[in-house]
Amino acid sequence: MSNLQIFVILSGIVLTILIAWYFWFAPKERTLATVSGSGAQEVAITVKGGYTPDVIVVQKGRPVRLTFTRHESSACSEKVLFPDFNQNANLPEGEQVTLEFTPDKVGEFGFQCQMGMLRGKLIVELQENA
Amino acid sequence: MKVHDPVCGMGIEPQSAFAKRDHLGKTFYFCSQACADQFDKDPHRYVMTSATTGFNPERILTRIELPVSGLPIKEHSTHLESVLRALDGVGEVKVNATTNRLEVQYDAQKVHVSKLVSAVKSIGFQIGGAKVKIGIENLRCASCVKFIEDELKATQGVLNATVNIATQEASVDYLPQNTTLSELNKAIETWGYKPRPATSDAPVHKQEEAHAKEYRKLMNKFWFAAAISMFVMITAYYQVVPFLRDWSMDSLRYLWGGTALLTLPVMFWSGSDFFTGAWASFKHRSANMNTLIALGTGAAWLYSTFAIAFPSVFPEGTSEPFYDVVAVVIALVVLGQALELRAKGQSSSAIKKLLGLQAKTARVIRDGNGMDIPVEEVLVGDVIQVRPGEKIPVDGVIVEGSSAVDESMLTGESLPASKKMGDEVIGATINKTGAFKFRATKVGKDTALAQIVKMVQDAQNSKAPIARLADTVSGYFVPIVMILAVWTFVIWFVIGPQPQLVYALVTSVTVLIIACPCALGLATPMSLMVGIGKGAEHGILIRSGEALQTARAIQIVVLDKTGTITKGKPELTDVVTMDGGQWTMEEILRFSASVEKVSEHPLAQAIVEGAQARKLELAEVKDFEAIPGHGVSAKVEGQNILIGNLKLMNRENIALGSLEEKSKSLADDGKTPMFITLDGKAAGIIAVADTVKEDSAEAIAVLQKMGIEVVMITGDNRRTAEAIAKKVGISKVLAEVLPEDKANEIKKLQSSFSNSLVSNIVAMVGDGINDAPALAQADVGLAIGTGTDVAIEASDITLIKGSLKGVVTAIEVSRATMTNIYQNLVGAFFYNILGIPVAMGALFPFSGLLLSPLIAGAAMAFSSVTVVGNANRLRGFKPKFSVR
Repeated sequence: MSNLQIFVILSGIVLTILIAWYFWFAPKERTLATVSGSGAQEVAITVKGGYTPDVIVVQKGRPVRLTFTRHESSACSEKVLFPDFNQNANLPEGEQVTLEFTPDKVGEFGFQCQMGMLRGKLIVELQENA
Repeated sequence: MKVHDPVCGMGIEPQSAFAKRDHLGKTFYFCSQACADQFDKDPHRYVMTSATTGFNPERILTRIELPVSGLPIKEHSTHLESVLRALDGVGEVKVNATTNRLEVQYDAQKVHVSKLVSAVKSIGFQIGGAKVKIGIENLRCASCVKFIEDELKATQGVLNATVNIATQEASVDYLPQNTTLSELNKAIETWGYKPRPATSDAPVHKQEEAHAKEYRKLMNKFWFAAAISMFVMITAYYQVVPFLRDWSMDSLRYLWGGTALLTLPVMFWSGSDFFTGAWASFKHRSANMNTLIALGTGAAWLYSTFAIAFPSVFPEGTSEPFYDVVAVVIALVVLGQALELRAKGQSSSAIKKLLGLQAKTARVIRDGNGMDIPVEEVLVGDVIQVRPGEKIPVDGVIVEGSSAVDESMLTGESLPASKKMGDEVIGATINKTGAFKFRATKVGKDTALAQIVKMVQDAQNSKAPIARLADTVSGYFVPIVMILAVWTFVIWFVIGPQPQLVYALVTSVTVLIIACPCALGLATPMSLMVGIGKGAEHGILIRSGEALQTARAIQIVVLDKTGTITKGKPELTDVVTMDGGQWTMEEILRFSASVEKVSEHPLAQAIVEGAQARKLELAEVKDFEAIPGHGVSAKVEGQNILIGNLKLMNRENIALGSLEEKSKSLADDGKTPMFITLDGKAAGIIAVADTVKEDSAEAIAVLQKMGIEVVMITGDNRRTAEAIAKKVGISKVLAEVLPEDKANEIKKLQSSFSNSLVSNIVAMVGDGINDAPALAQADVGLAIGTGTDVAIEASDITLIKGSLKGVVTAIEVSRATMTNIYQNLVGAFFYNILGIPVAMGALFPFSGLLLSPLIAGAAMAFSSVTVVGNANRLRGFKPKFSVR
């Protein structure tokens, strides 16, 4: 086996580990919802090739107000779904669309576009000072 | 001749005027620059005043009433008043806190209504006016925009108006009580433009427009990529091109350099979405289809460019580029996306159909005048006139007139329903024969149609449990494919044949390109959307994907008796005469109906309706008396009449003869017999019963044929229950079940046949109100809804048409949809499970077969189109029982 071949094999192993680490094991940045004057937990989310932010932490039992703005015309992302809360909204390009609901359960819940290409996560935690 | 300055009112000679202006075909003269400037600011204001003098010397204050909402007006009324008074030209301000109305007297020359409105809004109130969009045909000149806006603003009752030249639409805020749509249209017509219905505010239309735009964009990108691909292909297969094959390697390399540049716009314009999408998701530590395409084409381009730039680095024969892969794959995938988009548009046709049912305008009677207003502006309490052949705009109750109404679009019921005063009418149904007026009870998003649409949309976007599997898989899918691509490269490089580098690269690029997470992701939602839409078309509202999936496997259907199998309303069934008695059937019925007309008992109602159906004339009743627990007594045409049960007959010592036997057999049939005596002698029996719906037996037979066990549940006594069950062919009857125990019985059925570990899947069909706990306990709760009461909370499925055939259709829709989903999922899984190993070269050692990346691109593009196409096949679904 030539040195080049060994190098390629080692690179393959390193790349595999990198891919697995980057996409699965690395901790993701979490965005805490800010509580507005009206008491709702508000987050503005930009939709372009993905949801920014895509991991959102909210508290249980308090209304959540998510404002989506879609900055692309690709039909993929024209809808956003929260299947666990039976919420969904059409996102016309460039328009702010607000989705409001009160999470009634604790846990991690995905949100996504209709075909699941873009994904985000809503983490509902117990209210700390309840 | 003296004229008046329209601004200050001064009388001036036209010749000596300081300035003049032509506006709206009239000439105005001004005494000074200040007045002319003032006029220029808002010329329209001065046109509204007297046409003859150009000035209104009396300055009569205009009075306007504005409906205000948004805040508790009681607490803020003083603030509101002071804000308005602060405006120049505002006279008296009255706030009516109970009616939430604001009355303002103002000088129309000094202040425009829109100023008042913005002042009110500035402190947090809302003006409860209506908003309408009116399309304007062929609106092209930008300067006309201002004129039309002014004209609209000058129309009485208009609060604000803006004209958008891009959409060719005017959007007008106005008070519906002060103006009508036709007035607004007239204002547009005065400027020589033709108003048309606005299109931009229909959400479906908007989405469709966005889709059409996106489709055109994708097709442009495709054609561009395809054109470049043609050229790049020629250079890639130079060996077979007559002119090119004679070129030297060096000149070819220059040609390839050219194609490298040519493919750049293909990547970064045609394929821009892949690269931006890939980068965006990479930042989020996630990967999707875009990542795969971007990696695949990007790697191919980089390799090719290196190969032609530094040919000496590469082994002999490996320095040829494959720009063709880059261009062709992008062209194909973009084409696939365009086709997918087109197919998707068809999938949502059910919602489009439902929304299309909505009437556009309503003829509302306000202050005694009929006016056509857009349906969005109809308020609860409005009286609306409907003429024959017209659509009923909103939900309401008839207050005048009667008619037959075709409700098939919502209920699937093909026969027109007859409607009279006090009856409910549903928006979007069609008035057939008579004219009537009705009072609106539900408008806007509360109407039955709006709720149906909302429910269907929500359900279409919900998730079937089966989709979770696909979701979990696709969450790991793309990184796994990337890892597979890496190892494909490594293996080909290490143990592959010569030229190793080329083989390694081509195969790993092919792996990246053939993998199609989209087909997996699309498999369930597309079918669900079509299936749930299909259900809605047949009067079956499925609340969620979960309900749809469970309904497929229903093993036991429990039917509530009253109102589900039966009509839920007693009807006259038999009139029996005494053997050798002197009274005919008609006379007995006429006498008893005359008596019962006074009673309010539901059984009495059935008798009266039975007599009316036979066109019998009812007589006057005297001395009516109810005998609790027994019956009634009264006097009709001099006859003493008793109507009641056996207890009453025994108490009065009436000889019943053969009647007693007959009453028993009637009771055995599940009917309620009542004895009639005339002048102390038994005359006959009248029997009423809750009758079975015409199509119940047929539907139950079909359910049984489908292999589903049908069980009847009722609180009624066993005898009545058995009688009904026999009629409709049900052998298992749960009778005398208290309402609160129904849920328990369902639980028992779920765990019966305990030979299997899994519980039975039990569906409960009931009326949604009394049966709510049982509906909730069942695996699938089907509520039979009637009229506007469609969104029944406890149920998973609502059958709008009150027929059991809906149960059959619901199961059929569910089975068809689930089959379709399985096909899609299996297809998508197999595509990837077979496609990826072939792309890796699994067949190469045996047959030397290797997939070209070009074929992989085509396969990937069309696999998702196939999924959408297969889902669209569901649109051809036809239920066993045709509803139309």
